[in-house]
Amino acid sequence: MSDFVRVASVAEIPDPGKELVEVEDRLVALFHVGGKFYAIDDVCTHDGGPLAEGELDGFTVACPRHGAKFDIRDGRALTMPATQPTVAHEVKVEGDEIFVRLKQ
Amino acid sequence: MPATAAVSGFSAASFDAFLQSRNEPDWLIEQRRAAWKQFESLPMPNRGDEEWMRTDLRMFHLDRFQVPTASLATSDTAALPDALLTHGVDLAGSTVALDGRPVSAQLDSKWAQRGVLFGSLDALVSEHGDLIRKHLFRAMNPHFDKFAALHAACWTGSTVLYVPRGVVVDQPFHTLSALGARGVDLGHILVVIEEGAEATVLSETAGSNNEPAMHCGGIELLVGPGANLRYVNLQNWGHGVWHFAHQKGLVDRDGSLQWTIGALGARLAKVNQHVALIGAGAQTQVNGVMFTEGHQHLAYNTLQHHEAPHCKSDLLYKGGLQDQSRLVWRGMIKVDPIAQQTNGYQRNDNLMLSEEARADSIPGLEIQADDVRCTHGATTGRVDDEQIFYCQARGLTRKEAIRTVVTGFFQQVFDRITIDSVRDALGSAIGRRVREFS
Repeated sequence: MSDFVRVASVAEIPDPGKELVEVEDRLVALFHVGGKFYAIDDVCTHDGGPLAEGELDGFTVACPRHGAKFDIRDGRALTMPATQPTVAHEVKVEGDEIFVRLKQ
Repeated sequence: MPATAAVSGFSAASFDAFLQSRNEPDWLIEQRRAAWKQFESLPMPNRGDEEWMRTDLRMFHLDRFQVPTASLATSDTAALPDALLTHGVDLAGSTVALDGRPVSAQLDSKWAQRGVLFGSLDALVSEHGDLIRKHLFRAMNPHFDKFAALHAACWTGSTVLYVPRGVVVDQPFHTLSALGARGVDLGHILVVIEEGAEATVLSETAGSNNEPAMHCGGIELLVGPGANLRYVNLQNWGHGVWHFAHQKGLVDRDGSLQWTIGALGARLAKVNQHVALIGAGAQTQVNGVMFTEGHQHLAYNTLQHHEAPHCKSDLLYKGGLQDQSRLVWRGMIKVDPIAQQTNGYQRNDNLMLSEEARADSIPGLEIQADDVRCTHGATTGRVDDEQIFYCQARGLTRKEAIRTVVTGFFQQVFDRITIDSVRDALGSAIGRRVREFS
């Protein structure tokens, strides 16, 4: 089981807002919505598009390549052309720091 | 770690220090400088480019690697990994490089006496400058992209083979490049086979661990009229290596090139493998054998370029994929207007040994002549459960059954490889890697 890794400070990411972070060997899209933080793989399961560059709307992010939508809370694919969920990771906030633990 | 503490990364200062450490003719220094300028002016590839669309480079940090300048301590060379391709083979010559520095070079005197030149390109470029200058970067384009330019500027630990007219070398040559942690291999391999000559070259890479390291290499195979070259390159790095390569073959009139490419290692590989048939009657057979596991990502852009009439090209790439690995093949057959009576074939087959693996198979044809035969095909499939059951019903365990199916899958391309030691080495390397899956 991997450890929690510090990725950013709370002040860095506006609400709503997003940021691309590197956690160990993975690129993770970090979102700040409704006062809480969420993290999913920066990979659209349709064609590998960069989700962190997509448009954020409530708890939904749309892949910039072909528009597939994902729920940022659990990585569920909400619309075509994606059919598989992307991986959602654990996030915790301690004071001013955000930590992410990768889910394999 | 070697101590050139003052400079690091691929900076202008480290490049100058690198040039100082070489003892090379002016023409070569100029060539390197021109390539460096190109390297500095080009941006890193981005995912909008067709070539890089399916290969995510964002975790690769070029500034964490540097040009190899300091020399190797003898202690470093004690732990060289084993070569896979040379078991039971009598070699005509061999070279070894570690972390981008030449370690050793040997050539059997009976071939040297016949005018064959083989050894470290770094060492031979001064003494044989005229000959090498004629051929170096004749095939590979040093301005193709940022990696090609970096390679052309900073190549080291390289090998050259020159076989004069009519000389038939019936023993293979061997080159081995090894990488340790944080090592950088910028090896160039230049092979020139003159008219009517023949040779076989076995080239392999090896890594001793899975630490991050980098390879930015180039291969040039120049086959003269009526000449015959069998070239094998086996990429067997550890799983931490970032591998970028430009590999180009040029085959002249009635020449023949059999090129076998094996890939087992690397974290991410992006290889441009091109063959140009430049004289009538030239032919090439390209055999690819890939096996990936874990989170490996290997991408191949191949090109069969028919620049002359009556040429034949035949490419077969086969890949086996485990775990969450990924293989990308983007193939192109390009036929110029004068290349009538072309016979071009390309095929890519992938065998998925897990549900999360992914193979992208994209053949392509660009044909500008009207009397040609060009065929392409691509298949991707899972292992057939019925075949597994059939084997198990006859006493094989599930793992043995899967291994049998995988061997059968690769047999078609193994049958095309005419060098026994290579066939055996690839077959057993793949057999060892096959795991059971449910």
